[in-house]
Amino acid sequence: MDFMLTEEQEFFKKTVTDTIDRIVTPKAQEIDEKDEFPWDVWKEFTKLGYIGLRYPEEMGGMNADKIMCMIFYEEIARASVGFAQSVIMNMLMGTYFLFRFGNDAIKKRCLYPAIRGEKIATICFTEDQSGSDLGATRTTAVKDGSGWRINGTKMWITSGPICDFCTVLATTDPSKGLKGLNFFLVEEGTEGFSSGQTINKLGCRGSVTGELVFDNVWVPDENLLGKELGKGVVYVGDILDEVRLMTGAMALGIAKGAYNEALEYSRKRIAFGQPIAKFQLIREKFAEMDTLMNAARMLLYYGSWLLENKMDCRIIAAEAKILATEVCLKVVDELTRIYGANAFAYEYTPQRYFRDARFLLYGGGTHEVLKDFIGRTLIGKL
Amino acid sequence: MNILVFVKQVADSEAKIIIKADNKSLEIENKYTLNFFDEFAIEEAIKIKEKFKDSQITVCTYGSKRSIEALRTAIAMGADRAFLIDNAQHPYENSIVVAAILASFAKKEGFDIILCGRQAMDDENAHLGSMIAEFLSIPHISAILKLEIIDGKKARVENEIERGRATIEVALPTLFTTQKGLNEPRVPLITGVMKAMKVNIPVIDPFTLGILKEDLNSYSKKIKLLSYELPANRPPVKIIEGETPEEKVNNLIKILKDEAKAL
Ligand SMILES: Cc1cc2nc3c(=O)[nH]c(=O)nc-3n(C[C@H](O)[C@H](O)[C@H](O)COP(=O)(O)OP(=O)(O)OC[C@H]3O[C@@H](n4cnc5c(N)ncnc54)[C@H](O)[C@@H]3O)c2cc1C
Repeated sequence: MDFMLTEEQEFFKKTVTDTIDRIVTPKAQEIDEKDEFPWDVWKEFTKLGYIGLRYPEEMGGMNADKIMCMIFYEEIARASVGFAQSVIMNMLMGTYFLFRFGNDAIKKRCLYPAIRGEKIATICFTEDQSGSDLGATRTTAVKDGSGWRINGTKMWITSGPICDFCTVLATTDPSKGLKGLNFFLVEEGTEGFSSGQTINKLGCRGSVTGELVFDNVWVPDENLLGKELGKGVVYVGDILDEVRLMTGAMALGIAKGAYNEALEYSRKRIAFGQPIAKFQLIREKFAEMDTLMNAARMLLYYGSWLLENKMDCRIIAAEAKILATEVCLKVVDELTRIYGANAFAYEYTPQRYFRDARFLLYGGGTHEVLKDFIGRTLIGKL
Repeated sequence: MNILVFVKQVADSEAKIIIKADNKSLEIENKYTLNFFDEFAIEEAIKIKEKFKDSQITVCTYGSKRSIEALRTAIAMGADRAFLIDNAQHPYENSIVVAAILASFAKKEGFDIILCGRQAMDDENAHLGSMIAEFLSIPHISAILKLEIIDGKKARVENEIERGRATIEVALPTLFTTQKGLNEPRVPLITGVMKAMKVNIPVIDPFTLGILKEDLNSYSKKIKLLSYELPANRPPVKIIEGETPEEKVNNLIKILKDEAKAL
């Protein structure tokens, strides 16, 4: 049994931390305040090649192991979750189906430029009437000649208003529920494809999130991303653990950023003639936060290790996502207490962490849905 | 061009440092980084290589196994190879010893240019570069702000002098120490980072470099560290009282005269 990062992974962690602190951290507050996609930071950062981290080297990727990916997700979310969300969308869900099922032309046209940061990718599951319940998807894809005709509206789409292409979940047979679902590639400029309203969000600002409208959009057969019709949900299942672990890593990143702020402030802020860090009740908060963050990180790394070694981690990944997110919510709460009234002012950072933390409750599965799944699986059929 | 870059891993500026009870050794929090001034040396080496394509950049440090991280950073930025000269066998670490060891490495490897940071951020000595040059009997120019290689044989450099700059031409091989303003050290590309993770960094025993134990012993006796002290605590800030700005200024002048004896 070995709990250590290798010397190489440690080096990777330090380099990633330094790089992100040089390019992203100084812009984090501005990204949040402006709530516009930070093109300048995007260009500067993506040219370094990190978007290809988890893809094979021959595709311009780096074939990094899952622990390294988690280190990266955590560090970038620590700096700015709004920026991290757009970057990670290009790295993972926005490109996954193209990587797995796209033909050469699609890979050349969309996947490789997305890995280089030249195109913005996204994934569309959610609709106004369906989030957790994918079976309620109303967007349809109907066979039409040598292609498919797509109709529907997607909501809450990360980078939706600025995306160059998206992977859309649609039903090809509403009578089959989950077994009628498939993914399609739709590219910017396709007739009938447009973006609707942009959402004014509580947190994760700077990632632009909005509605995408598919009005009689026709795509050719090769844009059906999947080998077999009706297997869309099965394919999602193949990446689900990684997505959940990634979401947990982002949560831990926010927690760490918040913790660092709390530590710095409590060492400096004087009350009753001494730094507040000298008060027992403040110290207790650090003991609590550190304990919880370590526990969450252990579970997260354990899940990633299982995933890397191709072992079952469905339950651990769900548990890690829940724990890391709940820990994150606890840590940002403590930060806002330690910071006193200054936490309540927009000019300081605690309010940003406080708002950003809420975001991770939803992606990768809500905790109600995940707990129901874990409980059901553990108890078994009655 | 055969370019040698000497670097040092130093405690991060945010690391906590405690003077131990013997007053002669330090307890340093486990946060280390590549010395700030060395980044300019590595960057400059890469820029030379961009111009003279068949150049080779070799980075070397004398330190503990932990220093491999700093060498990996240099590889990630674009250096070709790196060597660690292991200090485990040789606990005395004054600058003459280190300079002698690094100079022996340079002699063994051969070089056209040596670059190193102006000073290390930890001990702030700013003399290692000149000592190495002395051991090698080559010229050195400190704290350069511009470097231009001419025909591969000479260099034209600019460095800072009091209230101005000097332009100097020097024959190679020469040792240059680098400082902020020379260039903008690059952020490593992920391809560099991955290369740096995989690269094999040989660990060298200093005594395989043709250096004699007696010499090191005698160098190490020349300098003796007596103790470390922390800077004195600064007195608390004094707020100058007064109803009006004029009164405050008058009070300030009074304090400067009577208490601080500055006027
Ligand atoms: C910033 C942001 C970015 C996003 N980006 C994207 C994106 O790029 N693409 C995309 O497709 N989606 C995106 N989403 C949407 C996200 O995936 C959904 O919010 C998520 O799937 C949950 O769905 P919902 O919000 O509709 O909640 P619902 O599913 O409607 O859930 C509402 C409540 O009911 C509970 N609930 C639901 N089912 C059960 C059950 N079976 N048992 C117990 N309780 C249950 C939930 O836990 C929750 O408390 C984004 C969301 C946010 C906030």
